Amino acid sequence: MKSMADRAANRVEAGAQADERFGFATYDPDAAERRGYSDYSYWGSTLRAFLKNRVALCLLLLLVVLLAFTFIQPYLPGQYDANRINNYPATGLQVNNMNPSMHNVSGTVPADTLLRCTEVKGLDGWYSVTNEILTIPKRTDFTVLEYGEEWCRVSYKGQEGFLKNQRLKLPDDPTQTPYEAKCNFPISLFFESADYTNDDTNSGGYVYVRRADVNEPENGMVRTKAETKLYAFPSTHGFLFGTNSIGQDLWARVWSGTRTSLYIGFMVALTEALIGIVVGVIWGYVRALDRILTEVYNVLDNIPTTIVLILIAYIMSPSVSTLIFAMCMTRWMGMARFIRNQIIIIRDRDYNIASRCLGADSRQIMIKNLLPYLVSVIMLRMALAIPGAIGSEVFITYIGLGVPLDTPSLGNLINEGRKLFAGAPALRYQLFFPTIILSLVTVSFYIIGNAFADAADPKNHV
Amino acid sequence: MLKYVLKRLLSAVFTLAIILTIVFFLLRQMPIEGYFDNFDKMSEAAIQSKLRQMGLNDPFFVQLKRFFADLLHGDLGASAKYRVGESVAVIIRQKAPISIEFGLVSMLIALVLGVPLGAAMARSKVWDRFGTVFIVLINAVPSAIYYIFIQMYGTQLLGTKMLFDKTLPVTWILPLFSMALGNIAYYAMWLRRYMVDEMTHDYVKLARAKGVPTRRIMMKHVFRNAVVPMIQYLPTSLLYTVCGSIYIESLYSIPGMGGLLVEVISLQDNPMVQALVMIFSCIGIVGLLIGDLLMAAVDPRISFVKKEGSR
Repeated sequence: MKSMADRAANRVEAGAQADERFGFATYDPDAAERRGYSDYSYWGSTLRAFLKNRVALCLLLLLVVLLAFTFIQPYLPGQYDANRINNYPATGLQVNNMNPSMHNVSGTVPADTLLRCTEVKGLDGWYSVTNEILTIPKRTDFTVLEYGEEWCRVSYKGQEGFLKNQRLKLPDDPTQTPYEAKCNFPISLFFESADYTNDDTNSGGYVYVRRADVNEPENGMVRTKAETKLYAFPSTHGFLFGTNSIGQDLWARVWSGTRTSLYIGFMVALTEALIGIVVGVIWGYVRALDRILTEVYNVLDNIPTTIVLILIAYIMSPSVSTLIFAMCMTRWMGMARFIRNQIIIIRDRDYNIASRCLGADSRQIMIKNLLPYLVSVIMLRMALAIPGAIGSEVFITYIGLGVPLDTPSLGNLINEGRKLFAGAPALRYQLFFPTIILSLVTVSFYIIGNAFADAADPKNHV
Repeated sequence: MLKYVLKRLLSAVFTLAIILTIVFFLLRQMPIEGYFDNFDKMSEAAIQSKLRQMGLNDPFFVQLKRFFADLLHGDLGASAKYRVGESVAVIIRQKAPISIEFGLVSMLIALVLGVPLGAAMARSKVWDRFGTVFIVLINAVPSAIYYIFIQMYGTQLLGTKMLFDKTLPVTWILPLFSMALGNIAYYAMWLRRYMVDEMTHDYVKLARAKGVPTRRIMMKHVFRNAVVPMIQYLPTSLLYTVCGSIYIESLYSIPGMGGLLVEVISLQDNPMVQALVMIFSCIGIVGLLIGDLLMAAVDPRISFVKKEGSR
């Protein structure tokens, strides 16, 4: 009896000693190094390796800023709607192909300049003005009062004014004024020897001034109070990237398009990865299915993508979600094949055979053994799938199956710009802006993807 | 080996038949409007008679049987809309040589420039930097974009016409060069990767320890081993030159095969689509087979014939 009690007491004592001896140790890097222990964590090391890559880090920051900006941009002050067709208030015609500008300022006039003005209904705070008195019809006589190399002072029907010395029919010695002359074309008569009108035919020649800058109109005329800016469009918020051929603001369209394209890219990459990984792992690991799935792949891979795209576009109405669906339908196969090839390389390694011998089932081996090994290559493929999807959106739009124009995307913006590119050198900005943004996005994803794949590769971990 | 090839060819025939059946079926799901240029103005009777004339009103399997019967007699049919009434074989025989010529020359350019670039990238830091920038740009920026820029500024630089002119060799340079760019990047990237991988192997160390000069190690050992995985890609890309490049041929208006498939699909010219799908699928399947065989021929360690004891 005693011995039992002793033993029990001993056990309690031993327990107390065990508590003292086997408490949790705190992590001490020096001690850890002495014993060859490392606090290695896969994702921690990946992150650390990734953070070392300065270029990729900068580009990641750039991408985040870009992405954030596409969402912030519509809420900034003075933005135009991406689908709003802007018209000149004076004529009601489209502000088409206006060059990029910060504030729409088309020129400045000195103080006390006389301008003909019209009030446009519903346009508060602005007058539409011009310094053109009238247009002299073609082949009509006027009297030249003073001759100049650039400007001539003339009188026409009792109105005195200036006109440009261009294409005028003048006598042999034009300095001997006054004399009658005419022009074979209609020609504008200006208040003074300067042309303040807008060159764009849709604008009707009108430019705009703020009401605060000029005196009250008298007989349809205003005088400027001080040096005044003339605006091509009645807004101090310029079209930063210009306007397109139907007067939509390209700045708003580019950002809206970037948002759409990134959305397409992310969605397609995610779906592609999901379907591709599931199918690819099964395809690669389950031997019985390999032959069948390979044949299925050969069949599906050889059906032209265009037929599938056209049929999907026919069955579903063209929209972003249709495009995403169509792209996923055609792109998951590439991912599946890639994963399958990777799985085949590693499926017969010793550690998998060992797992199998210890009784792991196929599902466990696929999820616990195979997939973690492939994280880095899968990340690389996904990062590359995003620029790939954005690029193929450009291609799909090129062959005429993209999203409708009222949903701007980088694909249809580039396609519109491309059509103008060769014909109109002045309008090349319509291709440049979407191209620059698109290239920034795709190059960033590409480099980040590569850097991340390098970082995620356990071979590169210390 | 022969047995293996025959087996693969046999299964290829089945695959091809399935592909053609599926494409045939998909084409029959296309909207009827697509077969006519002025669908809205046509009377119901006219539409029906035209459909009957094209054989589209018959049951699906009757149409399919007719198609395969014609195919086995070597008759690809006549174009229904692209060039009405002209034989599909004639159209393809006209267009394919141009694309093949362009494709082959551009591939040659790509090999001549890409392989040395890749080899240089594996050896020198400066070239590696330069090559990486080049590869990133080419891979990341959609090709549609840099093709346009090459056309615009290239023609200005060379002082030539924008479009392709068969009699003016200068106008061939830009399309060939643009076509080669993607492949240059591809060859350089993979050759570099394989060479760098190969250099870590022990036999390279041994050769170095023996005192073999670096140049010789690179050429005789590393390069030769690194080329093997790339061989598989070669026959497919050689054969695929028939397809032409959709962007480049339309940019320079080269009358080749590029974009022909997309065009006839959107025209709903069924005989043309079927013929082209058949040709392109054949190329894909045969290219893969030749690639595998070549790889086995170059590297004796690779074998497709089942060995004793292997699973």
